[in-house]
Amino acid sequence: MRKILTAAAKELLLLRRDRTGLLILFIMPALLVIVITLVQENVMELTGQKKLQVLFLDMDDGALGSSVRRLLEEANIETVVLDNAQYNDAHLRKTIAAGNYQVGIVIPAGASAEFYNSAARLLQTDAPSTTLRQTAPQPISVFFDPGVMPGFRSGVKAQLSLMLRTISMGAKIENLARKFNSTLDSLGLPQEYAQLSSGELAKRLSHPILALKERQTGTGAQNMPEYNPVQQNVPAWAIFGMFFTAIPIAGTILQERKSGIWIRLASLPVSQLQLFTGKVLAYISVCLCQFMLVGFIGYFLFPHIGLPPFTVFQNLLGVLLIILCISFAACGFGILLGIVCSSYEQASAVGASFIVTAAALGGVMVPVYAMPEIMQHLSIVSPLNWGLNAFQDLLVRGYSIFAVADDLGRLVIFFLLTIIIAWKLSRSRI
Amino acid sequence: MAATMITRNSTVSSRQNDGQPYAPYALEAASLVMRYNKSGAPALDNFNLQVKKGEFFGLLGPNGAGKTTAISILSDRFPADSGSVCILGDDYTRQRNRIKQKLGLVPQEIALYDNLSAHENLAFFCKLYGFSGTALQDRIQQGLAFAGLTDHAARLVHTFSGGMKRRLNLAAGLLHDPQILFLDEPTVGIDTQSRHLIHEQLTRLNHGGMTILYTTHYMEEAQELCSRIGIMDSGTIIKLGTPDELLGRSNHASLENLFLSLTGHQLRDT
Repeated sequence: MRKILTAAAKELLLLRRDRTGLLILFIMPALLVIVITLVQENVMELTGQKKLQVLFLDMDDGALGSSVRRLLEEANIETVVLDNAQYNDAHLRKTIAAGNYQVGIVIPAGASAEFYNSAARLLQTDAPSTTLRQTAPQPISVFFDPGVMPGFRSGVKAQLSLMLRTISMGAKIENLARKFNSTLDSLGLPQEYAQLSSGELAKRLSHPILALKERQTGTGAQNMPEYNPVQQNVPAWAIFGMFFTAIPIAGTILQERKSGIWIRLASLPVSQLQLFTGKVLAYISVCLCQFMLVGFIGYFLFPHIGLPPFTVFQNLLGVLLIILCISFAACGFGILLGIVCSSYEQASAVGASFIVTAAALGGVMVPVYAMPEIMQHLSIVSPLNWGLNAFQDLLVRGYSIFAVADDLGRLVIFFLLTIIIAWKLSRSRI
Repeated sequence: MAATMITRNSTVSSRQNDGQPYAPYALEAASLVMRYNKSGAPALDNFNLQVKKGEFFGLLGPNGAGKTTAISILSDRFPADSGSVCILGDDYTRQRNRIKQKLGLVPQEIALYDNLSAHENLAFFCKLYGFSGTALQDRIQQGLAFAGLTDHAARLVHTFSGGMKRRLNLAAGLLHDPQILFLDEPTVGIDTQSRHLIHEQLTRLNHGGMTILYTTHYMEEAQELCSRIGIMDSGTIIKLGTPDELLGRSNHASLENLFLSLTGHQLRDT
């Protein structure tokens, strides 16, 4: 253990004297998180232009559901219909909460009958005006992934509300026409004798009889912060910075290889694995400091520049575990880079290209759900996506640490694979 | 070199009392074969060498003769394709760490961290040998004195001259007081003063009982320092003996003439 700590202390000492390395590791993510969050604060609220996919569950199987689906299709919104014989709204809620779809709609059983009865009740000419107040709007449930942006959510809600209003209006007009026809027919009176004045008719027609009700997906978490760009960007850019530790790690390995230090180390009573462990230990502490720096910026600085504060305290232990797994993956990548590349310049270019590509693919720059479908599928190969997904599940969707075990497992496996390959190659690279 | 550092007082019998096997040779290499690629010529081709305890052995050869490959295999940098290596009675397959405690290596390159000071470099390598506390501080001070860098202990290595780096490079290989020392061209590219100091220190170490295996391209250096010399070419030793024996047998006026007659005049660009 002493030899591992010696190797770790040496790494930190070397890093302390590497001003460029420190600049990359600490100043870059700090600047990026501030600039990108400020930019996205506006853009995110306005966007959501991707073709929307709505998960649709019709428990009613009536005319109302068909009308809603028809209008969704007319609005170029793709519906993925769940079979109501196999699934219930709990399944839909779970699927949405898992982030597989961003929006879900449930038409409850008996909704069509209730809806048309309501529409008919509004036109009962003999009913007192209190009938209007007694006719409660029929709720159509809509669910949102807690990870979607507020602007996007508002846009979808507005669009759905408009569709429901259109359906309502259609039903009302249909009833109205029927009523008028039958009244006029039975009395044989001209139109000006109709009991309903045009003002009263308009009032009745504008009364809502359907309402959109947003419901919680019910992950069980309490007091979760509302989604905002800060909750997305702080972990995202912290992960980005953490992965950049790979470049100084590769740099020290390449220096050791080029200068003959590795030849000396190979003659010392210390194993390559102990030396690697020392490096990993040192850079895990660096990653922790990076996250703390970016987190503190989010928590203390952002409220002063008009942004919501970063909230992390609901599961601090889980956050720590995620940071640890991301750090392992970043260190493993750095060690492999140092072994595979033949110069620092090569390692910097390859490392930076990999990290930027993996960041773009992993949802650091643009949320995954806003990407084209093919990119969404590709995003699962990015280690930065695994880390970010774990943070999103924990900090936004309110899942427990056990629910993100798959992402953490991927990060640990990535670390083990990189270390094993590096270790196997290391003897031939001395 | 500081008088307190690295004197070889231990005897064969005392090492036997430590439970280590009796070994008349400090180093024995038998039938070593090494190929870097399957189709090419072997870097080592049936390489055999025995170095007695306390010997100052010089390994000479043109570029590509296999000197560095031999030292790399003898110091466990990588294994040979076949053959065996025995260091002070132990072999790497069974007692790797025990050998490493007894073996010092000074690579051809400056194997030091540029952005660490002389003190920090020595402290790092010393700790990896397992030293701590007072023993650690003593070893570092002795190492700095050995390299003549006590007054420059806090300076970063990248600010040193070539000679200072070479001396520190040598000191770093001697921190644990090894019984056998491998030196791969330790005087390349340094001034006469530093070379002279290194020669003096190595002679003193050898007189103290340390076995030294030395590779160099400087013939006069080998003639001055080494008690026995092996001339290598094409991965094997082609001539072996004391400097006097080699010159006496061959009727050449200098070791350089003998070397050229054995290895030829053609350039060896590797």
